[in-house]
Amino acid sequence: MQVPILKQEDFLIASIQGALSDAELLALRDQVVAKIRHFRARAIIIDVTVLDLLDSFAARTLRSIAQMTRLLGAQTIVVGIQPEVAMAMVQLGLRLEGASIAMDLEDGLLILRNRGMQGDVSNDGT
Amino acid sequence: MDVHHGYKTGGSSRSKGPEVDVHETERRKKFLQFGDPDIGRLESINALAEKYADEVIEDFYRHLMSFSETSAFFSDPQQLARVKELQKQYFLRLTKGEYDAEYAQNRLKIGQVHERIGLPVSAYLGMYNFYLRAVADRLFQHFEREPKQALDAFVSLTKLTFFDMSLAIDTYIDSREQTIRAQQAAIQDLSTPVLQLRPGILMLPVVGLIDSFRASQLTEQLLHSIRDTRSKVVVLDITGVPYVDSRVASHLVQTVEAARLMGSKVIISGVSPEIALTMVTIGVDLGQIETLGDMQSAIERAEQLSGYQVKRVSLQRRRDDVDDDEDRARRGE
Repeated sequence: MQVPILKQEDFLIASIQGALSDAELLALRDQVVAKIRHFRARAIIIDVTVLDLLDSFAARTLRSIAQMTRLLGAQTIVVGIQPEVAMAMVQLGLRLEGASIAMDLEDGLLILRNRGMQGDVSNDGT
Repeated sequence: MDVHHGYKTGGSSRSKGPEVDVHETERRKKFLQFGDPDIGRLESINALAEKYADEVIEDFYRHLMSFSETSAFFSDPQQLARVKELQKQYFLRLTKGEYDAEYAQNRLKIGQVHERIGLPVSAYLGMYNFYLRAVADRLFQHFEREPKQALDAFVSLTKLTFFDMSLAIDTYIDSREQTIRAQQAAIQDLSTPVLQLRPGILMLPVVGLIDSFRASQLTEQLLHSIRDTRSKVVVLDITGVPYVDSRVASHLVQTVEAARLMGSKVIISGVSPEIALTMVTIGVDLGQIETLGDMQSAIERAEQLSGYQVKRVSLQRRRDDVDDDEDRARRGE
């Protein structure tokens, strides 16, 4: 399943629509990095609201997306992690280092629009 | 109790009490080495028991009435007469054979009755002892020439009495266990409320010990509340937590981390000097977690993070406002 990546002003939004296989996750990673370079975007928001499971491979992939985009000078914001997913991730010790986290898409956009004011609330876990 | 012992507690209904099945009855009898010879001996003294029953029961109640802790149960003469009759049946049942599961169940029921009226275990066991002594006297009197026979019958009776006693004590223990279970359930039901302090700020006062079960329950509740209210800041107050060890600390770290993954920041408040000392001593790493000493500071910090500014309006000024309003009302404005 292809993840649509939308361009919005100077940032991108990747909205995951359903469970992704490992190969699809890797494809997402390559696609995100390529698009950030192409559009010279300063941030990417990855919406995982529909996922009811985020395994260690998915978490690792998100982390590498965050680290790769950072090398390109952009920020990664993961939004919409569900309560059950958050609990499972904590138990597995998955922290999404390098990525910022926001509650939902709206909150993520807010962070981008006034980064200074909201910066304190959404820490990046490092 | 273990199911493979065939001994089951009464489940959810409080009045039901423990149950003893055929298998368990046999196991207990075997343990007491209570066999067919014993049954024969007990049945052989049934006639004797019938003969002396009334006498023994009278002695028995005279004894009970001479102690304040037991006489209190028999203030009503009518009730006393009824209890005496029941006691006689109980006494005679000892020498009637058929010591099966039904017998055991009946003994349990009797134990339950005594437990329910609040008879102390010591008095209950004392009553068994009184029976044994009363019977021993009469047995050895009756079999004056055959002490061996009297002794054998008495030993068999002892076995049966201990069988009865173990059942009676079980009913007492079972009742306490039910109470403990009910209280544990009640404590769990008092689970931690998640309160909304302001739009976007949640408050979670934790009172009592945090164990693994409660920690995961608490975390789950908090995360759902965060999602439902879209709260970005949570004040988790641990003033009511008696102590924090490395396990409690790791629970707290997990809760904070899970909330962070949902885009919400948790501030822990209520860290007393003692708790701070313990945490430093045992080397708990609270890492990136923001902790504050008291709830007030935590609420202020939460408001600051959410962009709230609380302004105190002077009381004098407010009174003026009220007066103004009243004036205006009087003038019909």
